[in-house]
Amino acid sequence: MTSKSALLKVILLGDGGVGKSSLMNRYVTNKFDSHLFHTIGVEFLNKELEVDGHHVTLQIWDTAGQERFRSLRTPFYRGSDCCLLTFSVDDGQSFHNLSNWKKEFTYYADVKDPDNFPFVVLGNKLDVPERQVSGEDARQWCRENGGHPYFETSAKDATNVASAFEEAVRRILALDDRADHLIHTNTVDLQRKTPPDPSCC
Amino acid sequence: MVHVYNCHPFSSQQIVQVEQEPGLVCCGGGALFVVATGGCKVEAYSVEKEGCPLICRFATMGTVKSIQHSKIGDYLVTIEEKNSATYLRIYTNWRYQAEEKARVGVRLLGHLLRGASVRGGVQMEIIEIPLSERPVAVACCSVTGDLLVGCENTLVLFTLRRQNQQSLNQSQQILQSTWPNTQQSSSQSQGQTSSSNQNVSILDFERSVILHLPKIKPKRVALCGGYVAVQTELEVLVLKLDESSEPKTAEESSDTNKDHLEDQADFLLLPRHQELLGDRAKDCDIAVTIEKTGLEDRGQYTLSYILFRRFTPDFFQGCSVEETQLHSLQLYPLFTSTQSASLEEPACVFCFFSLPNAGYLYSLKGGVELLSVYQYPEKVLEAVLTDYLLHVITKNALQCFTVRCAAVTARIEDPYIDTTMKACPPCSLEVCALRMQLFIGLRSVCVYGRHVILLSTADTDTPEETERTTQRRGLELKEHTMLTGIFLAVGIDPATTPALESLLSRPFLSRKWTMSSPKETSTAGHGWNLYVVDTVSPLTLYQEMVEYSQRYAESNPQAQSLRHLLSEAHLLLRASLLQTSGQQQHSEGDPAVSLQTDTDTAVQTDSQELEEALRQNCAQLGDCFSRSGQKDCHLALPYYRMSGLPVTEVMARNRPVPSSPHSYGPGFLFYLKHYLFEETEQCLSQEAADEVIDIFSQSEPSQLVSVCASPPMVNVSPARTMQILQHLEDTAGVSVPLTITMATMMLLLDDLPRYTQMMERHAEMLLVYGFIEESRLLLHGGGGGQHAHIRPTALTRQLAKSQPGLLVAAMVALHENNKVQLEQADQIFKELGCENCLQVDFWEAMLMASSQEAVIQELLFRVASVYIDRLANSEPPPTPSRRRSLKSAEDLINSCIHYGALYPWLTVLSPAQTTSSQHQEALHKLQSLLCGPSLSVGSVVPLLERLSEETLWGFSLHLLCSTRRGQYDSSIEKLLDRCPQAIIAYANHQLQDKNMVLWWQKLLPELCNRTRAASDNSILLAALKETLVVVAMETSPTEFLELIPDDGTASYFLPHLLTCSQKHLLA
Ligand SMILES: Nc1nc2c(ncn2[C@@H]2O[C@H](COP(=O)(O)OP(=O)(O)OP(=O)(O)O)[C@@H](O)[C@H]2O)c(=O)[nH]1
Ligand SMILES: [Mg+2]
Repeated sequence: MTSKSALLKVILLGDGGVGKSSLMNRYVTNKFDSHLFHTIGVEFLNKELEVDGHHVTLQIWDTAGQERFRSLRTPFYRGSDCCLLTFSVDDGQSFHNLSNWKKEFTYYADVKDPDNFPFVVLGNKLDVPERQVSGEDARQWCRENGGHPYFETSAKDATNVASAFEEAVRRILALDDRADHLIHTNTVDLQRKTPPDPSCC
Repeated sequence: MVHVYNCHPFSSQQIVQVEQEPGLVCCGGGALFVVATGGCKVEAYSVEKEGCPLICRFATMGTVKSIQHSKIGDYLVTIEEKNSATYLRIYTNWRYQAEEKARVGVRLLGHLLRGASVRGGVQMEIIEIPLSERPVAVACCSVTGDLLVGCENTLVLFTLRRQNQQSLNQSQQILQSTWPNTQQSSSQSQGQTSSSNQNVSILDFERSVILHLPKIKPKRVALCGGYVAVQTELEVLVLKLDESSEPKTAEESSDTNKDHLEDQADFLLLPRHQELLGDRAKDCDIAVTIEKTGLEDRGQYTLSYILFRRFTPDFFQGCSVEETQLHSLQLYPLFTSTQSASLEEPACVFCFFSLPNAGYLYSLKGGVELLSVYQYPEKVLEAVLTDYLLHVITKNALQCFTVRCAAVTARIEDPYIDTTMKACPPCSLEVCALRMQLFIGLRSVCVYGRHVILLSTADTDTPEETERTTQRRGLELKEHTMLTGIFLAVGIDPATTPALESLLSRPFLSRKWTMSSPKETSTAGHGWNLYVVDTVSPLTLYQEMVEYSQRYAESNPQAQSLRHLLSEAHLLLRASLLQTSGQQQHSEGDPAVSLQTDTDTAVQTDSQELEEALRQNCAQLGDCFSRSGQKDCHLALPYYRMSGLPVTEVMARNRPVPSSPHSYGPGFLFYLKHYLFEETEQCLSQEAADEVIDIFSQSEPSQLVSVCASPPMVNVSPARTMQILQHLEDTAGVSVPLTITMATMMLLLDDLPRYTQMMERHAEMLLVYGFIEESRLLLHGGGGGQHAHIRPTALTRQLAKSQPGLLVAAMVALHENNKVQLEQADQIFKELGCENCLQVDFWEAMLMASSQEAVIQELLFRVASVYIDRLANSEPPPTPSRRRSLKSAEDLINSCIHYGALYPWLTVLSPAQTTSSQHQEALHKLQSLLCGPSLSVGSVVPLLERLSEETLWGFSLHLLCSTRRGQYDSSIEKLLDRCPQAIIAYANHQLQDKNMVLWWQKLLPELCNRTRAASDNSILLAALKETLVVVAMETSPTEFLELIPDDGTASYFLPHLLTCSQKHLLA
């Protein structure tokens, strides 16, 4: 039942125009629009799915990548379960900015254990012939920055989009197992009358 | 005592098809919002449509701990948790989430950069409100849409801001034009879709004020039109926040508060139950400080304490701490039907809160007041106040109580309530409980309009119970024994109350209860249910109450219960009249209502029906009070009035059954007296009038005289009435008003001899007293103030003919006793056709009798003009028809101070023989007025122009005027011209004291000149001689010498000079 499914917040970050909104649209509605507006602020969509026998509700947060909208997006990093760092393979600058995005996220999301926080890196627009970022460069950056999984995607062709999101879920669930294990050994929070709800927190 | 009436407040029930077990439920805007247990999803169902179809569902961002809907702005506010952090969020435009895959916008409070306009179509938006403290409770103001958030130790008020779409679009354009170039071309095509919904306003909130309450832990909060209520486990505090430009700071008020606290710290004596009303609530030990946070500088907020209540668990009554916990705090506004709800503050604000065993309803505006205490038969879990019912749930039942809010509002709306014009049952009327509906495992209740939404979960029940529950799903009805137990628990023995007994003996599922449970199978199998129970319309409930009341009416019409039930019914109607008028005004604001196109016409026919029902109810209440004992019997009058029934109808309703000993009730007599004494224009038929006479001769014979004198009674049959009056005289003795009444009957019978005989039984003076006692013997109408039409009675007409003196005396007496005003008397004389005769007699008599200065001046002017008129008109042919005045000039001069004695010189001027006696009378009266002390001469001068100076009498009047106005010089000249023989009489009378000098300054030189010109004029010479005598007496020799004309003959003046010197020497 859905009531037993977890609500997982996944946030898409990356430079303006790298294709965050397109990836979300492709994944949730299976559509692609070659003339998309820049996102202003923050929007989200829910998608229910099953990964390795787990029912989850994925809450995908799409953010505005443009610098001017920083104050609109940063307040909503908090509570994220996974962060999808996105660049466009035809835009070298967007790749170079990945580390800035990661810093911005860790700072505003107030992540307690940044080293173990699940990031997934997406190199989008795989279909574009004029590549500026090689797969090797991207993979190297992922290795050096905490061993993040890397996916080369195309929102236009729907390449790898679903697997990227599913990977995000897997990463979260893997972490949750450990967390669950930890909670049992922890002291009990007396303020809570009912045991913590397994469903969506 | 709790009245329990066997009325069915509920009509039907539906089961909402919810898939997952509901955790939280709330409703508003025609929708029911369900949050699945532990879920992060809200489902909205339409409660107004058959079967409660799903409107939409949307995801929340965390686990919802609390959810509320705001009517204004149609938004939802939630307290949510995620990863053990607590969030406060607003969901707007949720209705556009019909397509679940639509994107949801998110923004922070105050960051109104984006908006639905960007994406084109309207988009659901979530506004996140960051708070420094953990939010515990939220409340929305149903008047303004403002939001109150209760945190651990603070209350934060957010004001709702609406940004209209237009202005937002503009800012958006600016934004677009500055966009970087990369994908500029693509932006156009998407912009196209944005035209769809232009008039959607975008909501935002502004944090406007924070109240710090360090001493208490809020559990629940409420907000309504500036009233802020906060409830802790055992306390309720209500405050009023006012925005004012006055610089009275918050610190001031909190400072005084702190002082007080220190005072109190010495003796820690807390009363067990504390109730502090109005200003006294300041004395509670809860200090509140204001922190203003609004960005705009809109003046200061001031805070006043309105109400404080503190409860302590009563262990001796077997209550535990948790049983004494407060719940269901609510602030509830009511608008009067004349108010426009969107613009004005509500006329009334009510505060409700509840303990498990009792609920408390306060009225906050215009003085805080405890309206009702609801004693529950069982532990109540939750309660919701609505316009006309209080709904409460116990673990196993939904029950309704009546409320008194409409009684409060009615009084604010209409100042004539509680007068002889209008009535309304008192606010203090005991509340009653209506028939309860049983359920199993009730958890929560919320109400939208007539829909009561109930959540039941049977998970606390034993397995067998759950099984049984499933079998009997829908309506859970328990045995009558249990009901009886409940009633016994509140101290009602059903056996002694017929209503209750019948309640218990009737099957619970009556014809009134229709069930529309769609698929039985779909609801079975789980231990929870979500019901939408519809209450019957107030009109239907009203009708049932009336039907129910008939049984009382038949068995015991005097019963308190009948009156109570009819009063309850009355308040129901009033409440729903308020509601319907409210609906008309609210319909724009409420999205659910605005969707219905024919609401307005429906509302209109509704209110017509309601008004008709109200009239019926008033008639029944009138009946009730008309028969009741002394106390409150006067209420028959206003209720009958409001019923609009004609008096004959009311009489018919009160007609005793021939066989029964039952007589007319005091309430009915009170009504009838008022009806008769209130100068209505409406006349009763002879039959009805005779019945009235019978009623009074039977019940209150002493009233017969004034009944007969009453205008509606003119058609009464005189012979029949005469007999009854005769009988009255025989038993009660002779009285002047009675004799006059009998005389009137004789007059109506055309029996003049017996009329005269009657009238001669008393002296005129006594008759006048009789008229003062009962002025309506002479005057009908005019009760409604100066402008009401007043008319003479038959008796008055007769008096004008046969006893004019008596009529005038009576009218004067009535005037002096404030029973008739001057203008009304004028009207009477006009109708009698004696404007120029009796009326003038009346004025003259008034001048003799009245002491009212303003009236006197008016009358003096009037009579003066009448006299002038008579003098001007009557000259050649004196009108022979005219009756002599009642008072002659002589009489008036002798007995009325305003008429002065005629100056002696006037007799020289106007010899008696000149004209008719009537002319003479008029002249003398006018002259006398001019000689008197009161007439203001200036005011009549213009009128006098009509009279020529040709005639000597005319000249006399003009001369009198100019003399009164101090024009001596010219007067002397004119008099010497016209009538020199009067000059010495004139001078002797007028030239005295300070005018003495005129003898020698004016008269002497004038006479000298005139004699010089006509030396043979003996009249002038005689006058000169007389003048010299006076001058010689009054001047010194030197002065006298000076006065002698140069050309005068010395011998002529010498004797006078001699007298002058001798007199001087003597002195
Ligand atoms: N060829 C190609 N074009 C893409 C792909 N993904 C996105 N685009 C295009 O790239 C442009 C920008 O994509 P968006 O999805 O709006 O980019 P974004 O990351 O959401 O940008 P911001 O909202 O400004 O942060 C659009 O015109 C898309 O059609 C892709 O996989 N292949
Ligand atoms: Mg985007």
